[in-house]
Amino acid sequence: MILIAIVIGCILGAVIGIYAPMVPYTYSGYLAIAIIAALDSVFGGLASTLKKNFDLKIFVTGFFGNAILSILLTYLGQKLNVDIYLAAIVVFVGRMFNNLAIIRRHYLEKWDNHIDKKKENAGDIKGS
Amino acid sequence: MKKEKKNNIIMTVIIGVVCIVLFAVMFMQFKTIEETDITAIENMRETELRTEISKWKTQYEETAQLLEENRKSIQEYQDTIEKNEEASDLIDQDLANANMRLGKTDVYGEGIVITLNTENYYMEDYYALLELVNELRYAGAEAISINDARVLSSTSITQPLDDLIIVGEQRVSSPYVVKAIGNQTYLSSTLSLKDSGYIDRYTASGMEIEIETGKNIEILKYSGNLEINYMKESEE
Repeated sequence: MILIAIVIGCILGAVIGIYAPMVPYTYSGYLAIAIIAALDSVFGGLASTLKKNFDLKIFVTGFFGNAILSILLTYLGQKLNVDIYLAAIVVFVGRMFNNLAIIRRHYLEKWDNHIDKKKENAGDIKGS
Repeated sequence: MKKEKKNNIIMTVIIGVVCIVLFAVMFMQFKTIEETDITAIENMRETELRTEISKWKTQYEETAQLLEENRKSIQEYQDTIEKNEEASDLIDQDLANANMRLGKTDVYGEGIVITLNTENYYMEDYYALLELVNELRYAGAEAISINDARVLSSTSITQPLDDLIIVGEQRVSSPYVVKAIGNQTYLSSTLSLKDSGYIDRYTASGMEIEIETGKNIEILKYSGNLEINYMKESEE
């Protein structure tokens, strides 16, 4: 059911995005940072789902909170003439890679376990 | 059991909403980036703007320099034009002088008026006129006329018949009014030298001669034509 919700959400979002009005170019930088923050949250959510400690509240607050915070920081950076958005990108993308690594390891372990089990099963059959 | 189902539904809805928001924003961004003209000045990055500005600045400086050079050459042209104007003023002056000498214009100035009253001895009159014109020229007369016929350097004074005197193309007869423009003192003193002077000599031979000096003697322009038909300027 959740999968269906994700697929429908993605398609609906894409349609809305295509028909939504254009954002002025000046603000598209903020939007990009917000997207990176949101993607980071999504990968974090996926990783925690695999670890079985997924919390909806943490995910939702992280999703919107990080996006808004990163926008504010970027704005502040522009006011201070410091490229804070670079720091935000480094942090978010770094965390994204971390989460991807966790997801990858999880599935590799699963795969290894699966192969080991197959071998054991085969050994059992031969031995019997 | 029921609570778990409810939680499940809530989670599904929230994740769906999150997906909608994420993809909507992402696609909006894609569209914006795709459709924005990044070469437009409003959308350039700071560094690009800097290079662009410095480029324009050099161009501006070059153009300003060019403008300065052009201004200078315009100034030079104007100077030359002014000089030419001075030259043409001089030429105009020369032309006016030449025209006056040629008798193309009426002239006036200080000078004398001599009236010769004779009793129609034409032969004597003729020589008297010739001599008078010569004496006046010698005394520095710049313009001469006889009975308002302008006497130029090319004007002839002839006597084709005994009772006919022609100055240029005009017949003249007594009384002869000879006007001359020049230094009035020179003119009158040259003519009135004692005994050997013109007046004394011709008065002695029975001619009535009156001489008047004036500040404002007017002499009319030459009435004949001054066309050149045969002579040409020789090449140097």
